[in-house]
Amino acid sequence: MTFPNILAGIFEGFGVTATVTFYGMLYAVPFAFGAGILQHFTRGWARLAVTAVIEFWRSSPVIITLFVMYYTLPSFGLTLSGMTVGAMALGLNIGGYGSQAVRAALQSLDKGQVEAGLALGLRRWEVLGLVELPQAFTAMLPSFVNQFIQLVKGTALVSLITLTDMTFRAKELSQLSYDPVGTYTGLLVAYFIVCYPATILGRMLERRVSTPARGLHDL
Amino acid sequence: MTETVIPAVSLQGVTKKYGTFQALTNVSLTVAKGERVVICGPSGSGKSTLIRCINQLERHDGGKIIVDGAEIGAHGTRLPELRREVGMVFQHFNLFPHLTVLRNCTLALTRARKMPRAKAEEIAHHYLARVRIPEQADKFPSQLSGGQQQRVAIARALCMNPQVILFDEPTSALDPEMIKEVLDVMIDLAQGQMTMICVTHEMGFARKVADRVVFMDRGEIVEAAPPEDFFNSPQNERTRLFLGQIL
Amino acid sequence: MTFDVDFALSTLPFILKGLFTTLWVTVASALGASILGFVFEVLRRTSRVMGLLMRFVIDAIRSTPVLVQLYFLYFVLPFWGVVLPALVVGVIGLSVYYSGYLAEVFKAGIDAIPRGQTEAAKAIGLTRLDVIAFVIAPQMLRNIAAPMGNYFVSILKATPYLAVIAVPEMLGSALDIGSRTFRYAEPMLVVGAIFLVLAVAIGQGVRWLELRLLASAKR
Repeated sequence: MTFPNILAGIFEGFGVTATVTFYGMLYAVPFAFGAGILQHFTRGWARLAVTAVIEFWRSSPVIITLFVMYYTLPSFGLTLSGMTVGAMALGLNIGGYGSQAVRAALQSLDKGQVEAGLALGLRRWEVLGLVELPQAFTAMLPSFVNQFIQLVKGTALVSLITLTDMTFRAKELSQLSYDPVGTYTGLLVAYFIVCYPATILGRMLERRVSTPARGLHDL
Repeated sequence: MTETVIPAVSLQGVTKKYGTFQALTNVSLTVAKGERVVICGPSGSGKSTLIRCINQLERHDGGKIIVDGAEIGAHGTRLPELRREVGMVFQHFNLFPHLTVLRNCTLALTRARKMPRAKAEEIAHHYLARVRIPEQADKFPSQLSGGQQQRVAIARALCMNPQVILFDEPTSALDPEMIKEVLDVMIDLAQGQMTMICVTHEMGFARKVADRVVFMDRGEIVEAAPPEDFFNSPQNERTRLFLGQIL
Repeated sequence: MTFDVDFALSTLPFILKGLFTTLWVTVASALGASILGFVFEVLRRTSRVMGLLMRFVIDAIRSTPVLVQLYFLYFVLPFWGVVLPALVVGVIGLSVYYSGYLAEVFKAGIDAIPRGQTEAAKAIGLTRLDVIAFVIAPQMLRNIAAPMGNYFVSILKATPYLAVIAVPEMLGSALDIGSRTFRYAEPMLVVGAIFLVLAVAIGQGVRWLELRLLASAKR
């Protein structure tokens, strides 16, 4: 098998990789905004509860939540497809991280912005939607791009619960062709092709929001 | 037998560019051992660039820089070794905030000169006393006033027993009431035969201790003369204009 | 099949044996990733060409999944005649992957140091290595203790990936029990609980350290 053949074979799994990523986003984005905003607004016990939920998804290793859900839920009578388990476990984990970007961005805004919005007679949720979120969004973007990359890379895990994504295809090809060097190099290249543009985008966005360095230290 | 006197620092036709900006144009200057030279001039005139080239914090593009007989940038000269012979005092002190005053002074002695810690501390205490702050040795830089920090920086440079010591606007970042304590230390040094090259706007200091005052403008040396001649009968129009503005 | 609490508890001793491996791998990988990441970051500052080259290396590492990097090392190294124990391959894999992230953390930590520090260190005649070891590194570490700690927690959470290359850490032990008894739910949940406790505890420890450092920096 030539290297282009291998690469083409691996990319047959791209559809599954992309689908898991897409469904993962359906969990991640609402969870990130919902939990981040709730954490921003709540106080006391309510906030503790929100924080506990976020911390649960953030602190549990995603490979463990994936396996726990895949192996444990059926014994509680809940059988979900591999695709759903994969998207949920990855999406909620990434969403947990995303919620911290949302909260941090909201908290970094000048308090005067909210007061000015309220003084104009807007309702609190209107201030959130019209004043706070639009401004906070730029600060969240670099983190979102980085989390997106984590999500794409994380989808490699679904090969362990029998979904035929790129990683799964590579393992098959490696057994068929007896060429681990070619196939696993091909697999690295495949993910690189998918993720590298996002990595570059993330760098560009980061440069826009971060404060400039205090010194170029030539070592 | 004739004895050739090697100058402490000799610059021959030094040029330096930042992109298209010509920071130094054909600058030549010889500083004898024990000589005290004050460099002045408007901001952006290349004074700082010039002395930063001498210890190669900036690399020059053309010409020769010779320190104590050895050409810098020539094959085989190593920068750390050069810099041990050339002390430098910065405008913003640049003390190491994570180290005590004493350790700031001994770091280069123990690391670069491989001196035992006890010997290095003895030397450091000596110079801290010389800059009149022996009691601050165990404090951290952030616990000292600006004037005290700058005196520590001078002690740090002196500890290496350098051939020449460079001052890059040492009093410009200080509050007025602290300028004198630093200048006093520098005057004391000058009287002790240390070779000094000072970029400064303190014309009183220049009058008092300089052997020569050098005026720079737009990357060139416009005029160099002993202080009496420099201040009383400047030859160049640009020098007169500058003196008129600051005196 | 229902969830059996007694069986879950009976798996505990075996899984806790895996905990030792998990912790050992975490410490070794954290050390390896720190050293490698610091080398990358220092090299990045030596010249323009090295700067671009190192940035590409770091971005490439960050653009491919850790799972795939582990497969690559595990299956390709022997093909090249490098036969190492799975445990060592795992530590190398985690070290390489997280070196890409730690290099970025170190970059931020060094960028926050004023330029005059390197200049003063060079001016008193320190060699390049001494400038790095005595002036840059200590100040950098003070700037980045918190993000560095967070990545160490991430390394802990990535150790279960080593189960896929047959390292008997906690997840590996749980899968082992599963394949022997055909009961996955209980051991999985036990492993999940242990990881959650560990990650939260270490995360709190990092936060505590951060506060202490902030206090001491005001000295």
